[in-house]
Amino acid sequence: MISLRNVSKDYGGSTKALESVTLAIEKGEFVFIVGPSGAGKSTLIKLLYREETPSTGQVVVLGKDLAKLRRREIPFLRRRIGVVFQDFKLLEDKTVGENISFALEVTGTPTREIKKRVAQVLNLVGLKDRRDAYPNELSGGEQQRIAIARALVRNPDVLLADEPSGNLDPKTAHEIFSLLERANMYGTTVVVATHAQDMVNLLKKRVIELRNGTVVRDERRGAYSS
Amino acid sequence: MRFIGYVFSEAFRSLWRSKLSSFLSSLTTGFALFLLGISFLVSVNLGYIYTVAEQQMEIQAYIIKDATAEQISAAVERVQGIPGVSTVKYVSKEDALEELKLMFKDKASVLDSLKEENPLPASIRVKTTGVDEIDAVVAEIQTLDIIDDVIYQEEVSRRMMSIGRAIQYVSLGGMVAVGAVSIMVIGNSIRLTIDSRRHEIAVMKLVGATDGFVVGPFILEGVVIGIVGSILGTFFAVGIYNWLFERLYEFIPFMPMYVLDTQSKLQMFGIMAITGIVVGAAGSVLSVRRHLKV
Repeated sequence: MISLRNVSKDYGGSTKALESVTLAIEKGEFVFIVGPSGAGKSTLIKLLYREETPSTGQVVVLGKDLAKLRRREIPFLRRRIGVVFQDFKLLEDKTVGENISFALEVTGTPTREIKKRVAQVLNLVGLKDRRDAYPNELSGGEQQRIAIARALVRNPDVLLADEPSGNLDPKTAHEIFSLLERANMYGTTVVVATHAQDMVNLLKKRVIELRNGTVVRDERRGAYSS
Repeated sequence: MRFIGYVFSEAFRSLWRSKLSSFLSSLTTGFALFLLGISFLVSVNLGYIYTVAEQQMEIQAYIIKDATAEQISAAVERVQGIPGVSTVKYVSKEDALEELKLMFKDKASVLDSLKEENPLPASIRVKTTGVDEIDAVVAEIQTLDIIDDVIYQEEVSRRMMSIGRAIQYVSLGGMVAVGAVSIMVIGNSIRLTIDSRRHEIAVMKLVGATDGFVVGPFILEGVVIGIVGSILGTFFAVGIYNWLFERLYEFIPFMPMYVLDTQSKLQMFGIMAITGIVVGAAGSVLSVRRHLKV
């Protein structure tokens, strides 16, 4: 499903963001990427949805070699990948419902189908009565749930999350991680870069630890630190 | 089809959502196009003044004394057939005297002595369609055997020709310069609008929108702003022109000034609308493209 072979990423600074990273993630896995700030977690996530390209090495996602992907093919890759960010990245001037349906509109889904799917996914994240609210009327936790709903509304093969609970209190973070776990139970491959120690320890999933851009630990049912 | 529906609903929603900034962009565009319109009107007027002056250029071909009536009418007919000739008028000896009397007005009595023996020659007066044709027409008239002498304002016609060319260059250059400024003003206002929405563009790309999906609504917004701007611009330009026209007419009643008819208003609106639409659309595409590489 996802494989990196000898991947390095150099932003041009004195150190590399990633150096010779090789790893494979199978379909249906739930993987935590942990490590201190600046270890390369965000860069790794960005490589997976082709916001960045590796300086050397090969990144394959959903059977596509991302370095060989043509520019106009990128949107079609992204439609099979849901991405969740620390800062939610919702459109402030669109309602909750519009934010979610937008992800379907770009794929040309029929209006009736969009309505149905938006209602389903809002139900899933427990916010079906906030459909007509604007993002700034919601709490941080609610906004992140909307972002997850937007990521899930297309039934993606892969769900990527970069510090999804970075701005949230522990209780809210817990809600967010349960949602990610639920998505995983429906068969979506989930990759989460996080600092949320408690959650990593609680969920006991595969843990990949990065330090200075290299993989220092890759453990089944691991904890935040070894 | 769904894509078109999406583009329209998105574009109009976003224009409406940011009413103030859409209005200001239209106003800026309108002002830039107004300047373009004014330079159009200046060029139309220069052309008009030139045409008026051109039409007053006249060739006088004097007829020999013993020409018969048949010879004269044959000559008039031949002159009419020369390419570039617009009007031909035969002025008999008597007509020439009447004209002279009119010029002297109350002192016309001094001409009484001429009655018995009118020394004025009969002539054919010819106007051409433009100064460029004068030389050729004169040459042709001189070949007629009943023509004694041809008089025309040779120096004036030569000057007119070079002034005419200068006017063409100046007004074209002016319009190009003002056009370039309008393009920059409109393009810049669009760029600012789009830069303020780069976050939105990035999110769209992130959820897998194709470039067309992102750019489509922006193009339509640019086009709408261009159209509204050109309506505003035409409105201002026509208003100011008519106001000026009345003021100037009071002071200088003989000043040849072009009366704006519907056709020239439409022509001006057309120039503005095309500029507005093209620049609006192109400006949107170029500005959005800078944010598409996400």
